[in-house]
Formats: sequence, C-alpha cells, structure tokens
Amino acid sequence: MGLIDKHAVIEKNATLLLVGSLLVVTVGGIVEIAPLFYLDNTIEKVEGMRPYSPLELAGRNIYVREGCYLCHSQMIRPFRDEVERYGHYSLAAESMYDHPFQWGSKRTGPDLARVGDRYSNVWHVDHLSDPRSVVPESIMPSYAFLKDAPIDVKDFSTHLVANARVGVPYTDDMIGHANADLMAQADPNADSSGLEKRYPKAKTGDFDGNPQQVTEMDALVAYLQMLGTLVDFKTYDEAAGYR
Amino acid sequence: MSSEHIDEVSGISTTGHEWDGIRELNNPLPRWWVTTFYITIVWAIGYTIAYPAWPMLTSATRGVLGYSSRNHVKNELAAAEAAKAKYVAAVKSKTVSEIAADDALREFAVAAGGAAFKVNCVQCHGSGAQGSKGFPNLNDDDWLWGGSAEQIQQTITHGIRFASDPDTRLSEMPAFGDIITADQIAQVSAYVASLSGLVRDASLIEPGVKVFAENCVACHGDIAKGNRELGAPDLTDAIWLYGPGEAAIAAQVRAPKHGVMPAWIGRLGETKVKELAVYIHSLGGGE
Amino acid sequence: MNGNVIGCARLEMHVLDKTVERLEAEAVNSTKTRQPLYAPRKKIFPKRASGSFRRFKWLVMAITLGIYYLTPWLRWDRGPFAPDQAVLLDLANRRFYFFFIEIWPQEFYYVAGLLMMAGIGLFLITSTVGRAWCGYTCPQTVWVDLFLVVERAIEGDRNARMKLDAGPWTTHKLVLRVSKHTIWLVIAAATGGAWIFYFADAPTLLREVFTGTAAPVAYITIAVLTATTYTFGGLMREQICTYMCPWPRIQAAMLDENSLTVTYNDWRGEPRSRHAKRVQAAGQLVGDCVDCNACVAVCPMGIDIRYGQQLECITCALCIDACDGVMDKLGKKRGLISYATLSDYNANTAVATGGGSGAVKPSLLLTADGTFSDRLAHFHIRKIFRPRTFAYMGAWSAVGLALLYSLLARERLEVNVLHDRNPQFVTLSDGSIRNGYTVKLLNMVPEPRTIVVTMQGLQGAEMSVVGIDLPAARSFAIPVEPDRLKMLKVFVRQPANQVEDTAQTFKFRVEDMASFESDEYTATFNAPETAR
Repeated sequence: MGLIDKHAVIEKNATLLLVGSLLVVTVGGIVEIAPLFYLDNTIEKVEGMRPYSPLELAGRNIYVREGCYLCHSQMIRPFRDEVERYGHYSLAAESMYDHPFQWGSKRTGPDLARVGDRYSNVWHVDHLSDPRSVVPESIMPSYAFLKDAPIDVKDFSTHLVANARVGVPYTDDMIGHANADLMAQADPNADSSGLEKRYPKAKTGDFDGNPQQVTEMDALVAYLQMLGTLVDFKTYDEAAGYR
Repeated sequence: MSSEHIDEVSGISTTGHEWDGIRELNNPLPRWWVTTFYITIVWAIGYTIAYPAWPMLTSATRGVLGYSSRNHVKNELAAAEAAKAKYVAAVKSKTVSEIAADDALREFAVAAGGAAFKVNCVQCHGSGAQGSKGFPNLNDDDWLWGGSAEQIQQTITHGIRFASDPDTRLSEMPAFGDIITADQIAQVSAYVASLSGLVRDASLIEPGVKVFAENCVACHGDIAKGNRELGAPDLTDAIWLYGPGEAAIAAQVRAPKHGVMPAWIGRLGETKVKELAVYIHSLGGGE
Repeated sequence: MNGNVIGCARLEMHVLDKTVERLEAEAVNSTKTRQPLYAPRKKIFPKRASGSFRRFKWLVMAITLGIYYLTPWLRWDRGPFAPDQAVLLDLANRRFYFFFIEIWPQEFYYVAGLLMMAGIGLFLITSTVGRAWCGYTCPQTVWVDLFLVVERAIEGDRNARMKLDAGPWTTHKLVLRVSKHTIWLVIAAATGGAWIFYFADAPTLLREVFTGTAAPVAYITIAVLTATTYTFGGLMREQICTYMCPWPRIQAAMLDENSLTVTYNDWRGEPRSRHAKRVQAAGQLVGDCVDCNACVAVCPMGIDIRYGQQLECITCALCIDACDGVMDKLGKKRGLISYATLSDYNANTAVATGGGSGAVKPSLLLTADGTFSDRLAHFHIRKIFRPRTFAYMGAWSAVGLALLYSLLARERLEVNVLHDRNPQFVTLSDGSIRNGYTVKLLNMVPEPRTIVVTMQGLQGAEMSVVGIDLPAARSFAIPVEPDRLKMLKVFVRQPANQVEDTAQTFKFRVEDMASFESDEYTATFNAPETAR
C-alpha cells in the first residue's frame, strides 16, 4: 500500500503530474510511431510504381493548389463496400512518391485513387468545366478557367529536384528532360519514346481537346488519368501483402 | 490547500476539500474494481499476443491469430459472392425475359443491375438514367435499337459504333450538308418538325415532304416512324436526342453526330450485362 | 470496535432483558481507523426481520416476480395472422404487442411517453414516500431478497451463517455452499430464460431451448443474464447500490424536508444505554434506544440508520420492523425508527432539546403518564399533498392522458409517398409527361385488407402500377397482407395538353372500403416548361 500512498503525491502536485504525463505520452509515441520508419514489414515494395512524369506532377500540383483533396480522398480502404465501388484497396506503396499524400476518408465527392482510365478525357474536361452538365446533383465548383491557363514551363525541372530532395528517385536523365517531357506528353504528334522509357505506362495525347497549348487542364487530366493504374493487380501477390 | 478531517458521524476521513460547508467522505474504493482494472491489463497483454502488435528490430509480431484486414476483406468478398451464388447461377442460366418473368429473380436482377448502373453507366446516361444531349434517356418509351429486354441486352453487350467490337450496332446517317442544298435542308427540317407539332415556318412543309421522300424514307420509313434494324429514330414522336425544333434537326441533318456506346461484355461479363438489361427494362419504358 | 468478529471474549453478550439480546453488528461504512485506498467488501449477514413492512415487501416481491416470470406465458387471441402471446416484442418483424395494443416502429414515441411517465412517477414517489423504488420494487432489491431467502433456507439465519462463514471447510460446508450457489444459478438461468420469452413465442422457444434448436442469440442472452443475475444478486449485492447505480445519487437530490424517509428518532432514543433500568434507577436520563443493534443486523445494506439518512439507505423499512419488535418486547411505544419527515423530526428535536440549546431530553415530549404529548409532531396524510406533489401528478397525468388519447385516436391505415427525384419527370414519345412515385401502404391491423388507391386532381392523368397488368386508371384495388407495409411503384402520366404548370399538386387517397378508414397524401407532379 506504500506505493499507492505515494500516488497521492503525484495527484496533489500539478507540475509533477504534467511532467509524468508528458513522459508517458512520449514513451507511447516512440513505441508506436518510430518503429514504422524502420520495420521491414511496414514498407511495401510493389512492381510498377514510378515517380510522376513532369506533366502528371504539374497536374498534381494543380490538384493540391485547387484544394481538390478537401472533397476527394485517394485511399481505398480494405472494406468490402469500398473495394466493390472503387476497385482494389490502395497499397501503401502506391502513394510512396506523394508529397503530400492524399489519404483521407472525406468523400463529398468520390474517392479518386483509381479514377485513371475510368472516364474519357472529354468527360473529364466536361466535368471539370461544368460538373452539373454531367452530374446534375453535383455541388462541385467549376474549374473551367484551367482550360485557359497555360502551364508555366520556365523550368519545370526545379519541381523534380525538389521532390528528389525528399526522396523521390528522379534520375539526372529525368531531371534533364523535364521540360521536354512535359511538352511531349501533351502533344499527340511528338516523339514520346524517351518519355515512355523514363515513365512507363505514361499516357500521352491532347488531354484537354486544345492541341495548340499545354494548359493546366491538360496537366490535371493527365494526372487524373494515371491514378491507380501503375500496379498490375493480376501479378500482385496478395498473400505476401497481408499485414 | 486541503485539510484532514474526520467525519464525526461515521468516523471516516474526508477528502480534505470543502465546498460551501459540504465535505466528501474518502471511502475506500472496492477491491473488485481495481482487480477488474488489473484484469484489463492482462487482457491487453493477451490481445497483443493474439493480434499484430510489438515492434522488434526488423519486423513486428504478427499475432498468433494471423489476422490481417486485407485477408478479412478478401473473405468478406468471397462470402458475398457465395451468398449471391444461387441467384447469380439462376441469372446465368436464364434468358433476360425469363428473369423478368420470375418475381424474386427479377427483384435481385433489378437491384444488381441498379448497382452496376451506378458505377458504370451514370457518367453518360445520368444518375437517374435521364440522359442528356447526345445520351439517350433510358426511362422513356422511345428506343433507337429496340426496347425489349433482349434488344437492350444486345445493345449493352456490343455497344453502338464501338470500334473494337465486331458485333457492335452500326448506323451511319450521311452528312446531308454535302448532298442537298441548304434550302432543302430547311424544308425537310420543317417537315420533320411538323410531324411532332414543332414547326415554325409552315410554308416549308410541302416542299419538305418531297425532299423527305427522296432522301430519308430509305432509313426512316415512309411515314417517318423509324427503323430499329438500322437505328433510325422515329421522327414523329416528342423525343429528340440532339434537341427538338427545326434548328437542331437541321444541324443533325447537315452534319449528324453519331453517339458511341462502349461494348460492356468484356468489362462486365454476361451476368452483369443481363442484370443491367433487366434493370433498364424495368425503368418504365421497357417493351 | 472490530464488529464482525464473533465470540470476541472482550465484549459481553449483554442480555438487556430476558427477551432482547444485543447483537454484534457494526455498520459497513463506519470505522475509526485510517482507510486504505482499496478495500475488499465487508461481508454482511442480514438477519431475518418480521413485521408489517416485511410482509408488505413479500407481497411486492411476489407481485413483481410473478409479473416478470409469468407475463410471457399469457395468451391473447389476435386472429390467425398475428401471434397469440399477450406481451411480445417481435424484433424480427418490428412489432410490439401488448394485449390489445399493437405498436409499429414509427409509433415508438409511446415508449418515450412511458419513459417520461416512469421518470416523473419516480420523482413523485421519491419526493413523497422516500426511496420506495429502491427499497421495495427495484429488481436489484427484489432479487437480492430472493437470493437471501435461499441463503437463509440453506445456511440458516444470521448467527448460523456467520458461524459457517468463519468456520473451516468441512464436507458439510461444501455441500451447503454448493447447493446454495447451484440454486442461485438455476434462478439466474430462469431469469435469463424469462427475458428471452418476451422476444419470441414462449412455449415454442422453451421447447427449442431445451432441445438445443434455439437461435444462438437466445443462449447467449441466457448466459449473459445468468452471469449478471448471479453476480449482482448473489455476489455483489449491496455494492451495486453503493458503487454502481446512479439512482442513489439522484434520489438524494429529490428528497426534501417533507418527504417521508426512514428516520431514527433520536429525540426519543438518546441517550442510548444498554443498562436502561440501572441508569434510570440512578436517576439519570435515558432514551428508548437500548443499543441492541437489531437495526444494523437486519439491514440489507449493512448500515446503521442511527447515523441518519445516508446514501446507502434504500428505505426498505426492515429496521423499522426490527426496532418495533424490540420495543414491543420491552413494552415501549413503537416508532423509535419510523417513516418521518425532516420537518417533523426537526420540530420534535427542537422540543426535545428545549429549543435546540441543551441535551436531548425525551421527557420533554412525554406527558405525566408516559405517553407522547400533543406537542409531538407526526405525519398527516394531507402533508403529502403539497405543490410539488401536485406538479408531479399533473405532469404525470398530462403525459398519460396524451398517450391514452393518441392511442385511442390513431389510424390503422396510412399511406407514405416518395416522389422520384431522379429524374423528376420523363417526356414520353407521345409528348405526355410521366412522374414516378414509390407508394407505401401501411396496413396496421392483423387482417388482410383490400385498399383502394385513388388519385384526385391532376386533370387527365392516369396511373399504372408496376406488377399489376391492368391498363392505366385513376384507381386501383390493392390487396395488402395483414400487419404489413406494401410498397408499390406507381407511374402517373398526364397528356401534354393537360399540363397546367411545372409543378402541380394532387392527392393520393387510400381507403379501406370495409371499415371506411382512409388517409391522404398530397403529392407533386413535375413537368418541363415546354410541356404546356
């Protein structure tokens, strides 16, 4: 009972209680959070993942700039209803090059983790320009201005360098060709062999229906069209991924 | 500051605080209560042995029960499939007309078709299947390619003008802007508009009849009732895919738009296509 | 004072009178030493009491237990389409049956009303007659009482039980204890069993339970309730009231100076003495209390009422019976412990202490021949009827009358209509406009009925019902199963030239031709601008 009597000391001294609580919480945090950074089985290696191509990265920057994540999440959880609606549950590895990641469950609008290749480019442009023309009950704002905003391509390689600094494996080759790749991806007539070598499965074409310019609409649609398409789930080892 | 105080009546010490002259007895807490607390700690330790929990040097403990949320969802999906298996097998083995005739099976197919519709079809046909310009309204009783359950199934299976499906429904209205004069286009548009009472300039109707007889009856029929084999619309009804009125009709005559519908058999499989067909057929306009 | 030790040679067993023994009993919530932080339960061995309150409690116990165990077995004929159990919560079909009343889930507000009445009723009872719920009718009290009956029957009354408890584990003790706990478990299982019979047909479920064919949830419920009844009634007992139940805390707030509570009248009991005759002979003051501890010994909570009304006291009045019995044996007046209001108690105390200044002198309230003087304040029934009581009674009756009226006036045929929102209207090939509706017919009697659905208003319009192969019309006769909701998909179609506005209202009217019950719903019919 002596120990329990000593307990009263902590309860009657606010500073001691505060320091004690802080210590307990710190230990708890270290035990729960720190291991996730070094344990092997929390880090997934998956076939097919690659960094974003410059055009896709530009589109992603627009996605974040416009605050799309406020209504749209990009994380399909391993629940039956989500898998049935959106497709295979999201793997942690699929967002490993996302700075910042787009996980969430706030779905004013549907989850976009696997929206790639679900709708045509034309549909995306229509939807982004006037959401209610294709989905009458939508409350999504209009982003028609993206069609008129050309991509500022003074030196897009700085974006790749910035990402490389936080761990995204952009090679010097990729960084060197950044501006060229960006323009080539949105031009159906350009030679995209280099682009496809550097970024396998990248989609090319005139995304926004305006071949004269590479606009922000091109970038955003290019980004949306590749979401969730990189991993081939026919060859993915399900059982190895259980954690 | 608290002050020790023994309550005279019960002989028990108080907590030391006083509020408006009221004191609180400091009775012991029941021993079973703290025992239960210790039991919860033991339970927690057991829980961390059973489920994934403890970080080690390179991996974490997996838990003796081998639980994984990803495995759990796989089992749930399998169980859902198994639960539907009886109905799905019935849908597989029957024709769409047979399915529509069986009350319980129809209810299942309508629900399943509705779910598939919401995921695959609403982007073009609208969330209530009401369509929009260039995308047909599936609730009404006007069918370009036929509204029986079988005909709907055929349309969904092979699509319309879908290049990569060899059995896709095909129809091509010639661009009459290159074939007849602008005046003739105006006349025939007036005539066609008059068939559903929408004409503006009645004087163009009579010459329009002639233009129609020379150019249009081959596909649209003598009395403009259309031809489902060819996908040629009924021009006498009130439903207009590209908009009503002479101007819209003239635009379509001059440079017709041809809608494309994907073939869904590859993406969805026959069962889902049948369910969709039954669902569409049940929307109120099915034949 | 270490009270629970028996046969402590230091204390004499004083026989105050040939007939009254002093009991060794100390209240569980008193001690003169420093308390530990956690302490095991102090065992108590409530002695059997006898008297009018004990008899009243037996009666209440018989009625409450009887109602609980027997109600599911009562039958009520509702015809061939409804169950024949008088009280049944049919969760699967979402119906509640209570004799001639049938409640659908959307009528759940009756439960809300009953709960309000229960709450107000509790305030009413407590503010007038103290914690009568706790002491007489609470399931915890009733079941603990029942378990004590079993305990006394097997192990004997207080002294025998204390001896058995303190003694070594002989075969005899083992046999007694095992039989006691077995009977407790059987009662607990029967309690769980009775619970599940409220949710299914009792005779059927009983058969299923014993043949092992009942649903798993039935067995789980029995298991849970067996565990809780056995633990709460047999093992934890008074600790439920002291530590777990919120009512003791609330009840205290509901008592006022005019509420009747179990009161130790120390204005006549003090100063207490075990040697009353000796003290009196010495010419000193002595009160009626002879410190026999009978009140502590019979208390099911193990407390001493002489400390005053306290949180643990459930006002079960067994101490009144015990003390009255002792007073009878000593030839003194009953009521040393009695139901009294605080204001009466204060008034008497004031007189007995000479205006509050001196020591208690019971003689101040006595007349020359030893009976109580007229200055004694005691309870009159009209004191119950004070504004607070009327307020509670008024509220309780108001809710009750509202429920009653609602019950008597309710319709047993209803219609709910949901207009299709998506699309709001469809233009058909002949130009006419069609709207879709989901029409729900509620047939709330346990008989099949044919309901006629008619549309009123909306010129020229007709409706067709999916699944009914008849041509479009303004009226359809729909058979509806007993006690069921029937959902219909209805398409209403109006010719283009009859459309008057983009939104027109019309009525769906449903009627039972046999009973003339009817209901109406005003619906909207949408049309495009261009339709007119």
